[in-house]
Amino acid sequence: MRARLPDREGVITRCGVRVAFEVFGHGEPAVLLVPASPITHARSWKGIVPALARRFTVITTDGRGTGRSDRSHQPERHAPAEVTADLLAVLDAAGAGRAILVAHCHAVPWALGLAADQPERAAGVVAIAPGMAVAPPYPYAAEAERRWADPVDEPAGWSMRNRHFWRHDGGYREWVEFFFGQQLPEPHSTKQYEDTVGWALDTDPEAMIAEREGRAAPAGREAEALCRRVRCPVRVLHGSDDRCQPVARGRRLAELTGGDLVVLDGAGHLPQSRDPVKVTRLITGFADTITGAPMPATTWTRGRCRPRRALYLSSPIGLGHARRDVALVRELKQLRPDLEIDWLAQHPVTAVLDAEGEHIHPASQWLASESAHVASEASGHDLHCFQALRRMDEILVANFMVFQEVVEEGGYDLVIGDEAWDVDYYWHENPELKRGQNVWLTDFVGYLPMPDGGEREAFLTADYNAEMIEHIERYPWIRDRAIFVGNDDDIVPDTFGRNLPAIRDWTTRHFSYSGYITGFTPPEPGQVAALRAELGYRDDELVCVVAVGGSGVGQALIDKVVTAYPLAKKAVPELRMIVVTGPRIDPAAFPPRAGLEMHGYVHRLYRHLCACDLAIVQGGLTTTMELTAAKRPFLYFPLEHHFEQNFHVRHRLNRYGAGQRMDYATTDPDLIAAAITELAGQPVSYRDVETDGAARAARLIAELI
Amino acid sequence: MRARYPDCDRIVVRDGVGIRYERYGQGRPAILLLPAWSLVHSRHWKMQVAYLARHFTVVCFDGRGSGGSGRPPEPAAYTDAQFASDAMAVMDAAGIETAVLVSVSRGALWSLRLCAEHPDRVLGAVFVAPTALLMPPLAERRVQRFGEVLDDPVGWQTYNAHYWKTNYPEFVEFFAGRIFTEPHSTKQIEDAIGWALETDGETLAAADRALECSDGSATRRLAARLACPVLVIHGTGDAVRGYYEGEALARCTGGALVTLAGSGHFPHARDPVRVNGLIKKFADGFRR
Repeated sequence: MRARLPDREGVITRCGVRVAFEVFGHGEPAVLLVPASPITHARSWKGIVPALARRFTVITTDGRGTGRSDRSHQPERHAPAEVTADLLAVLDAAGAGRAILVAHCHAVPWALGLAADQPERAAGVVAIAPGMAVAPPYPYAAEAERRWADPVDEPAGWSMRNRHFWRHDGGYREWVEFFFGQQLPEPHSTKQYEDTVGWALDTDPEAMIAEREGRAAPAGREAEALCRRVRCPVRVLHGSDDRCQPVARGRRLAELTGGDLVVLDGAGHLPQSRDPVKVTRLITGFADTITGAPMPATTWTRGRCRPRRALYLSSPIGLGHARRDVALVRELKQLRPDLEIDWLAQHPVTAVLDAEGEHIHPASQWLASESAHVASEASGHDLHCFQALRRMDEILVANFMVFQEVVEEGGYDLVIGDEAWDVDYYWHENPELKRGQNVWLTDFVGYLPMPDGGEREAFLTADYNAEMIEHIERYPWIRDRAIFVGNDDDIVPDTFGRNLPAIRDWTTRHFSYSGYITGFTPPEPGQVAALRAELGYRDDELVCVVAVGGSGVGQALIDKVVTAYPLAKKAVPELRMIVVTGPRIDPAAFPPRAGLEMHGYVHRLYRHLCACDLAIVQGGLTTTMELTAAKRPFLYFPLEHHFEQNFHVRHRLNRYGAGQRMDYATTDPDLIAAAITELAGQPVSYRDVETDGAARAARLIAELI
Repeated sequence: MRARYPDCDRIVVRDGVGIRYERYGQGRPAILLLPAWSLVHSRHWKMQVAYLARHFTVVCFDGRGSGGSGRPPEPAAYTDAQFASDAMAVMDAAGIETAVLVSVSRGALWSLRLCAEHPDRVLGAVFVAPTALLMPPLAERRVQRFGEVLDDPVGWQTYNAHYWKTNYPEFVEFFAGRIFTEPHSTKQIEDAIGWALETDGETLAAADRALECSDGSATRRLAARLACPVLVIHGTGDAVRGYYEGEALARCTGGALVTLAGSGHFPHARDPVRVNGLIKKFADGFRR
């Protein structure tokens, strides 16, 4: 799912060629993002669009030859004059009189040409990794350019940049894979690599060849003259490890235009993809400077006049985090009564917080929905959560930018992130942005590959784990306290991957253990009868609660269990089945069935779980551990391809001797009915779950303030 | 020792009165730091100068009646027009074509006049804790009787021309305490007292008589003519001119208001980091 959808989409047509554009937001000034088409298109800006669009009108265009634009195969249709005319037409169509032009690589000459020829339309130019021939190219690039039109035998590396090779079967793809491997020299760039290769394959070799041959970019004196004609402010961003465009080009461009140069040390050719936080801030800062953006009315409170404040982030994927985080906050307020807590939170966490009377920071409205993304990634009872997390990259960076603005304005003493992946990742990637003390909570450590993902998935999970380990070891001061919600035995006996440490050893070295946090104290056996009476459950009925947690994934399981209901009811006439679809699935979406009760969000569902005779649930940690703590029999169906549910949660439940694991694919309604008949109302002998986890975690946090 | 010494320290004579000014640095744009009142001289900007001068050209001057500037005895020498003309003379002498104006307290009246009458010389204006006379004085100041002879004046009653002739140091001590309401401000208070004692009660009384002629309607007239960007910075703990004064000035100039919760009348001295950051950000808008 995208972090932000355009407010408007359109197409301009010039001389029969259609060029697509999108418009986001409505602030001043307008910012036109110009990709180096056709090798890439508008989606290449995905890491920076949402944050920019909260301030400015952002216009993206695919450019000729790719994305939703026409594939022009004639070189003359890619002449610079054609492209700049497209850009002007896009500005017109988007209703932007004047814009800051942000261009990448060989799109920079287009932007500079527009700024020089139509100064009234360009408020400024941000040139990223400029492909401007004002300094010599790399020798390997020059050599490839020289032999561009020659047939080359068995080309490899840069000599694959060749018109004959691109036409050769699979040649273009081979080139693209080589090229982007070069352009992302930063370790742990697998997602950016997959993205950029994918966008490059959106076009076809003929459009690529036509663009190269029609490009006619200025060089030498002509290029210098163009730069000197640019009158608007210019900012140049250039990675020191750019293997497409030498930094000397960026430096010279800044000199010739009187612009400023920001060298991104250690960055490659695609900082907008690999370092989106820094690039967004540099563009925003540039825009503010040249427009003299009016300062909004603000209040700054003197340091000694400030109350102690914490900002709490609770992972919105499911409801389990919300429950335990509320319990933790209750304990923390006991220890630090003067602590004010704001929540940066989104649905469905906000459903819990509203019900508990917690204060939700107004900037929460800007958060892109992680829950909706996860639901969009699920299919039936299948959710590949590792890939879903990878594909959530643009949502994470969009939400991080919201978070960062909040902490920069909010004067928080403390940030508590319960699996706030965005904060943890981007503060390690941009350590200078850290504000306040930082607490990281999680209930699992380590991405694990699913067996059917093969070598590739094993490589990817290990790469993500390695990046996390490097983050923690290089910047031990980013996490002031890391809390594992559980105990060391809860940690799987695996390693982080080939040549990487054992997860349990490493976690013990870098985390404190709080024990499990249920967020409630289960009733004593003697109190269950009273609770049942309060909830309206009779002694002579066997209550089976079917719950799928707080995310939007669960319809498939409910369908299957509901089908089993009549069979089970026949075998166990005293059965009463209550289905809880959760806050993100509409109970009305299911056809009504006689005797079956359907509910949406049920506040404090754990009370029902504590009083039931059997539960049927997914493999999520929170619900299964609530049932474990309450010592109720339950069937759990881990989502397929969900490594956390299949490995981490299952390991923990095995340790407690809790629950009966079921395989969704091979379980039919008869089997479910049989399991209901066998287990409903039966006693269980689980290991005890501690009830002081929230208090222990709160003590670990209170020590920091 | 100072954090930074001026690149140029001179006196420009205007209308027979010497005005001492300093110039630092060479970045663009230029920032002109205006006097606050003749009570203190340009050293009250000491927490700004070194930082701002790394980024901008900074010019400041001692207002007539203070520091190294002349001390004409007659009230007519201290009108708003005189101070504004001094500022223009300093800009000319320092070779500054256009500048961002930064004022504190009474300096607001002179800054407004410069903005309205010399729009070609002023890029923008920052008003810190402005005394713009848009709001009635704070309740506790309504006991003031500036020209009357009072028996044993206390508190704000010591804001009195006759008392200053004999008991100027006592007034200075009282007033410095009202400038800095923030706890733990001993150094700032000592500084202000020291600078104030470099002038005398007679001079300050002359300066204040002229200022008595200013009023809120003049401010509104000038504000209506303002075309440049404006930033107003005002502390909620200001015990000399209330916070509502800053709010009112922001409203009638259409400027941005930054509220400093808990700050007093001289936030540039007491909260210099925040104020420096705000001035820098504002001035950055005029770099090109």
